[in-house]
Amino acid sequence: MPLDKQRHLRYWQRCHRTLLPTQYTSHDSTRMALAFFIIAAIDLISPPTSSGEPPYLTRKDRSKIRSWVLSLQHPGGGFCGSPTHASPAEARKHTAQQTGTANLAATYFALLLLALAAEGDGRHALDGVNRRETLRWLRRLQRQDGSFGEVVLDDGSIAGGRDMRYCYLAAVIRWCLRGDAKEGAGAWVEDIDVDGLVEHIRCGQTFDGGVSESSQHEAHAGYAYCAVGALYMLGRPLEKDGEPEENGPLDRGIPHFDALVKFLVDRQFAFLESPQGHGDDSEDDQDSVNFALPSALEDLSLEENTTFVGFNGRCNKVADTCYCWWVGGTLSVNILSVQPARNFLLSKTQHLIGGFSKYPGGPPDIYHSYLGLAALATMGDATLKGFDAPLCVSAETVRKLEAARRVLVASDEARGTWAAKSRSTADAFWKGKEPVWVDKEIDADTRERLRQALHALR
Amino acid sequence: MPPKAKVSSKAKEAASKTKEPEAPPPKTANERTAQRYYQTNPCEKRREEVGLHGLTPTERQTWANAFFLPLIVSKEVLLSHKSDREFWKQVGKESLPVRRLSRARKQHHAWGRDRHGRDVGELSPEDFDRRSLQQARLAALEALHSRFVQRRELAGLRLTRPGSSDSAAHEDVTPEEVEEDRQRRKEMAALKSELYGEKMGTYAQDPEWDDVTPIPADEPEGALAAIAYPDDYAEAISYLRAVMAAEEYSPRTLRLTEHVISLNAAHYTVWLYRFKIVQALDLSIPDEIEWLNQVSLENLKNYQIWHHRQLLLDHYHAQISANADADALKKLARSESEFLRLILDEDTKNYHVWSYRQSLVRKLGLWTPQELAATQSFIEDDVRNNSAWHHRFFLVFCDPAASTPGCHATEHDPAVPAETVDREVRYAQEKAALAPQNQAAWNYLRGVLAKGARPLASAEEFAARFVEGVGEGEGREKVRSSHALVFLADVWVEKGEKEKAALYLSRLAEKWDPIRAGYWNYRKQQIAA
Repeated sequence: MPLDKQRHLRYWQRCHRTLLPTQYTSHDSTRMALAFFIIAAIDLISPPTSSGEPPYLTRKDRSKIRSWVLSLQHPGGGFCGSPTHASPAEARKHTAQQTGTANLAATYFALLLLALAAEGDGRHALDGVNRRETLRWLRRLQRQDGSFGEVVLDDGSIAGGRDMRYCYLAAVIRWCLRGDAKEGAGAWVEDIDVDGLVEHIRCGQTFDGGVSESSQHEAHAGYAYCAVGALYMLGRPLEKDGEPEENGPLDRGIPHFDALVKFLVDRQFAFLESPQGHGDDSEDDQDSVNFALPSALEDLSLEENTTFVGFNGRCNKVADTCYCWWVGGTLSVNILSVQPARNFLLSKTQHLIGGFSKYPGGPPDIYHSYLGLAALATMGDATLKGFDAPLCVSAETVRKLEAARRVLVASDEARGTWAAKSRSTADAFWKGKEPVWVDKEIDADTRERLRQALHALR
Repeated sequence: MPPKAKVSSKAKEAASKTKEPEAPPPKTANERTAQRYYQTNPCEKRREEVGLHGLTPTERQTWANAFFLPLIVSKEVLLSHKSDREFWKQVGKESLPVRRLSRARKQHHAWGRDRHGRDVGELSPEDFDRRSLQQARLAALEALHSRFVQRRELAGLRLTRPGSSDSAAHEDVTPEEVEEDRQRRKEMAALKSELYGEKMGTYAQDPEWDDVTPIPADEPEGALAAIAYPDDYAEAISYLRAVMAAEEYSPRTLRLTEHVISLNAAHYTVWLYRFKIVQALDLSIPDEIEWLNQVSLENLKNYQIWHHRQLLLDHYHAQISANADADALKKLARSESEFLRLILDEDTKNYHVWSYRQSLVRKLGLWTPQELAATQSFIEDDVRNNSAWHHRFFLVFCDPAASTPGCHATEHDPAVPAETVDREVRYAQEKAALAPQNQAAWNYLRGVLAKGARPLASAEEFAARFVEGVGEGEGREKVRSSHALVFLADVWVEKGEKEKAALYLSRLAEKWDPIRAGYWNYRKQQIAA
């Protein structure tokens, strides 16, 4: 069964243009994530820019996405997860009343959304992002043990569990914004504790080779992706053709790489139809239905086109669309059973109305629909755009992020240099030396009065 | 003064002559209006039909008199004394109506739409009248309500400015009046909904929330991933935003957080806010945990709930430790374990619950035989429960009394006693024998061997029990567990028997685990290199 692009496009356009059903209310706090999945999916099924065909997102769509995302930027750095968590526009103007709270995941999705919405080569994608404040806020989210929380409270305390997902999100935000400014340069912002983060991730590997939420918990494919993704992003060169460093974070952060590969490979299993058949959507009996074992090992055959290979997230759990992505995205796919895995997605969880469901026979939802596409794209589906697994977006979008970072860092460099200059001027003033005034900023009259004031101080 | 119109029998006769034939009773309010229009505008219908010049001279006279009548009454047109008298004589004779419905009223008046979007003018006259009464009632209630709000505000002002003791107008409202206004708002809400389909939120209806100005979220045109919120969600959120900004910690805000959580348990700051309220009001932690239990059972996959529980546990633990309250500690351990048993009954592999269980063990030092036995019973019930296997590994190998702090999960730990390693090897083998194709037990076995720095070969004999005649051809080759085959392949690698290892890997790729054929071939290449 092929990927029915038109049907998926209709599914995503419905999600984009109309209100999401009431059932999504429990996702109100993560609307930035939903928006990302919707827009990234439309981008992924759009014809590549090089084809010259018009993309499915219009110029107007793009400018609306941009202004919505930027409206959720928090004045103290980072982005809020939804309008529910943002300060109202009125309060933002006066910055007196802070009703909003920035969130780590929302910030990651916001930056990627801005890149997805960018026109042309994307160099202006990140214009309007408060790079310095966001990077400083990111530092405040890191704990002594190297882990990250998701929210910083007014009193400076860090909220959120010790969760491998936060490690990944932090590493991506740092890669998107920080650049390679050296200490003392105008665009320099103090870095997070990279070694502490790597060490924290290292502790997450489990006895069976997988990676858990944090040290000693159960191994889980989603956390494995986050760990590997985080380490990769920490060492990722800033530009496409940059050189990765020797003995980088990836080598240091996964003590037993072979065991991790084994863990991920083990997440595949033959998806067998249960003899009773199953037409209902109830999740209760998915455990028994979905993870049916063959009655004898001899019964396992592997005909490329008739077999379905599902992926689970943990040992002895059921197949779920999104783990095709979490596993496939982490591993180089050539050691996975690509064709049967495609079969599973396209014949078992691809839905009649477009999108993908979590389990065979279930209704589609935004999250699984995007990760289903992402899994197919990582397996090299020719009808989708080239994919960047560590960032979970089209490779095109990553190029835009790189271009936008260059522009953003350069503008911070210019501003930073000026700020440094005026700072040194102020220092000279208070040390009582003959001041060097910044031209244009202070007129002759004021300058004279300041000079007199200085003399009076002596 | 115009003389009083005398209705003589003659005039009646004349009127009945000029009047249109009796119309049937009106079906709608609009029809009634039209009828009233023609009743109060004599000859108008005829004129519309035949034009002014088509009317008989008498009709024309009547029509013109009726037309001028209101203008003359309102003195917009002044007549000479004589004409005036003549005019009124005529009016009296014809019994012309002094007031009449204007043309604009008949043609253009819009009554508005009801809550179903229907034109109110199309209602039956009875329904229309009922509606008008309701509107009047609502207007009266609104007047009383705004008086109540105003009095309350004034009383509030007096509180802040004690110097100004003005008058009775500043008297605060009584509890009875508050209750009365609450009832009033209930009725107003019902009327608004009935008349206009407008929803009056629960908080707007509650006098207790009058002092809070809600802060609604901005939802500009083109907002992404907008959700069709249930009616009360947006209102509750706008009140939550207001009280969070004002940093109010009170019983009513505690109730508000409960409401918001029931609608959106993944709200990432309402939980933190709730925890602050619990702290600020110094509420009983066991009560809060009791409440949380129910919410947890209703939201099995929620992440924030467990974070909240973690915060409560840390807070409470610090409290009772400071008081050296051993009883309370024991009680806490018991009630937490009891709840975990309950919620794991719902989903024995719930990731959040097992994660929390680990932190509970660390916090309360539950490195006990009871905890081990409880975990074991999960494995006895379902030998494939990988979550329980992981918890067992944690209990055995992270116990501070018998392990090296910070030792990595895959590292050899010399602090673990040999007997413990023996016991765990035995346990894993016993369970693997029960269900040879269950990978959880095999993984555990490998994990234990690594902790004890024992070679895989020490379990070679065990693994060999599930495998026969590998590579000896169809019929002779029997494999009861592909995991045993993998285990043995690794044993051969460990022993440096590359060819044997390659054979086993080939058999996995070809026959016993073809799904991972790519991986087994990759392993073969690694060995050859």
